[in-house]
Amino acid sequence: MTNNYNPKFPNRPSLLNWRTLWGLLFVVSVVWSLQVGRVFQGDLVNTGGWNLVFRFLVAVLSPDLSPEFLLLTLDATFKTLAYAVCGTFFSIIIGLVGGVLSSLVWWKSVSFTGFQAPWLVVRAILTIPRAIHELIWGLFFVNIFGLDPLVAVLAITIPFGAITAKVFSEILDETPHQPLLAILNSGVSPLNAFAYSLIPQAFPNLLSYGFYRFECSIRSAAALGIIGAGGLGDQIFLSLQSLRYEQMWTLMFALLLLSGGTDFFSALLRQHLGIPSRLDLNVLNIEQQNSLDRKEHSPYHFLHRDLVVNLSLLGAIFLLIFSFWYVKADFTKLWSPRTAQLLSRVFQDAFPPDGSQLSQMFTLSTQTLAMSILASTSAGLGGILLSLIAARKSEGSGETPESKIQTVLTRFLLLFARAIPEPIWALIFLFVLFPGILPGAIALGLHNLGILGRLMAEVIENLDQRPLLSLKALGASHSQVFLYGVLPLTLKRFLAYILYRWEVCIRATVIVGLVGAGGLGRLLTEELSSFDYKGLLTTLIVFIGLTFIVDMISALVRRTLS
Amino acid sequence: MYPPAPIFELKNVTKQFGNFQSLTDINLQIYPGERVALVGSSGAGKSTLIGLLNGTLQPTQGEVWVLSRNMARLRPKQVRQVQRQIGTIYQQFHLVNDLRVIHNVNAGHLGHWSFFKAAISLLYPLEVEIAAKALMQVGIPEKLYERTDRLSGGQQQRVAIARVLVQDPAAILADEPISNLDPERSREIMNLLCQLSQESGKTLITSLHAFEYARRHFQRIIGLQQGRILFDAPTEEVSSVMVDGLYKINPHTYREIGGK
Repeated sequence: MTNNYNPKFPNRPSLLNWRTLWGLLFVVSVVWSLQVGRVFQGDLVNTGGWNLVFRFLVAVLSPDLSPEFLLLTLDATFKTLAYAVCGTFFSIIIGLVGGVLSSLVWWKSVSFTGFQAPWLVVRAILTIPRAIHELIWGLFFVNIFGLDPLVAVLAITIPFGAITAKVFSEILDETPHQPLLAILNSGVSPLNAFAYSLIPQAFPNLLSYGFYRFECSIRSAAALGIIGAGGLGDQIFLSLQSLRYEQMWTLMFALLLLSGGTDFFSALLRQHLGIPSRLDLNVLNIEQQNSLDRKEHSPYHFLHRDLVVNLSLLGAIFLLIFSFWYVKADFTKLWSPRTAQLLSRVFQDAFPPDGSQLSQMFTLSTQTLAMSILASTSAGLGGILLSLIAARKSEGSGETPESKIQTVLTRFLLLFARAIPEPIWALIFLFVLFPGILPGAIALGLHNLGILGRLMAEVIENLDQRPLLSLKALGASHSQVFLYGVLPLTLKRFLAYILYRWEVCIRATVIVGLVGAGGLGRLLTEELSSFDYKGLLTTLIVFIGLTFIVDMISALVRRTLS
Repeated sequence: MYPPAPIFELKNVTKQFGNFQSLTDINLQIYPGERVALVGSSGAGKSTLIGLLNGTLQPTQGEVWVLSRNMARLRPKQVRQVQRQIGTIYQQFHLVNDLRVIHNVNAGHLGHWSFFKAAISLLYPLEVEIAAKALMQVGIPEKLYERTDRLSGGQQQRVAIARVLVQDPAAILADEPISNLDPERSREIMNLLCQLSQESGKTLITSLHAFEYARRHFQRIIGLQQGRILFDAPTEEVSSVMVDGLYKINPHTYREIGGK
């Protein structure tokens, strides 16, 4: 090294560290995934499909706007919205109860002896529903209840309730405990003590996460359509399969409006409430302390002042009532004797699991893994690039009319990418690609690109501008400011987001498997539709194992890089 | 007594932020090699003035000339060429915390480096010797590969100064460089800045909250009050009456003392 002659200067740090290790592993895994996806072997494109693609694209200019069809679209939109509202409502209830019960602080408050076994039990119970994708739940419930709106609501409620419970419990555990202890020590029962200290303290964060869940529910409700649960996804799927692209575009626009409207409204509300970005709660736990400090007086105070907040509170209540009325789900089915019978038969059928196909499952697992790696890599890299354009420029950083148009356009592209459910994307790419993990990876990648791009743009908008301005002041160009300012300041968080989306992607491989994109997902759906519960149980166990491995790697990467 | 061409010149400059007028009708010339202190209470417009001088702010009215070029008339690329010649140090350091010291120091090269070279250097630090020498000059050579956010405030300000050294500008601007430091650290940093400016003959313009440092280290003192120049004089001519007037709240004082 150049400076070895001077003992005062430290030597160049070794290149052997966690960062280079993960970097190399990442490159290797991407190459491996491309190999599994047969990208190097050519013969991927079905040239006969271009004709359909052309028709599909041209149809965007002439969406079906006849009154009957618009009415149908409206009904489908309301249905999707209503599923999402009901699903979110139930999952937040489950989340609150489960969150309290799976928080360490609750069990510490209940028994001072430090007996924590129940805590572990509740946590363990909640991991299973979380690991299974909404669509698999949906297919399972179709087998039990038939095509009932109840299926969609339950399919959202169960996994989302478990996720919400996990996040709520983490929020509760990380909220400062001194006020709670003060109340507990004066002899108040744990439940009352929670209601008067911890819950109000954590309220902004709980609410923020609730909004995020609602945004997810909308997307999920649309995706659930493709198993026949009704709503926009269902209609899009039907019109796509019957080649009525004009109708499909009308529905697509409705979905864009619904999804975009929800995102916009959620952002507006969060801004009025002054609460942090909701995904941070899920991925990083750094921001919470600050947001709590800001609201140290009364966490509820904003609920009584802001007009927007008051109106949306009223709106939410109205929406909830409307949704339950519109869904017309037959909730009595939940406790009908027939349901119990069917359920017990399923369980009898499922045991013992069928282990005869383990070698095939290994191949399918590698496919699923490769698909998730390709999807999250492309979504991550694309997201970083697009978020730079999509981030609203701060004042004084040279905003021109052209850059404003670019920003708006990119934001719309991102919205479009995330509003379209993954299976619909997959079907579109299957026009020109042969079935396999590549169309699946592209579909997952595009959908996640839309989500990641928006989250990253938010991060960039919230950056401390001062170091960036100081780089500009010394004559650095835009691209250099990005390299030496934006990238180092955001990379850690971007990585955390990408890893989080990887965890989501591996679960979501199931739903593109449904339309023939390969991997374990395809096997799962085949087994479900042929009522092969023994095989299903085995596949599920393998699949859940795979998701746990991915979660563990993701957590390890995040820990070693922080 | 001054060489003819000023390095900085403000002509009837007014700067407004929304309804708030930060600077009003400023006329000012600063010549190469001068050491100038800007003093005044908070909100007097010191930081705005620094921002106008390094091209991060544009005046609402009037003209800012830097190195004999009118900043308003330049295209972005030309602005960057001028900005290369001006190094700025800030109260809050404004470093990129997540980078190692070496990269923050190397950021001083960015005005000259291509994008490609800048990118390579992030992966494998280039021109380590120059950076090491700069850190040696500011007294923290051992921190070369440390993460910047692991350093103390005083050390971070030294990194910022090392970045300016690597940039090698014609003028150094310092915006309240010692406001976040304890007295001992403040003295060290001020000595360092003045010594560097004296040795290299670079122009040094520093805004300061505390008058004492201005008197001790600078040749010329400009007093700002509520966006106007209250006085602008060689240090030995600044009287205690003028200084007292500076920190009074009364908006009309400047007429009585400034005498313009």
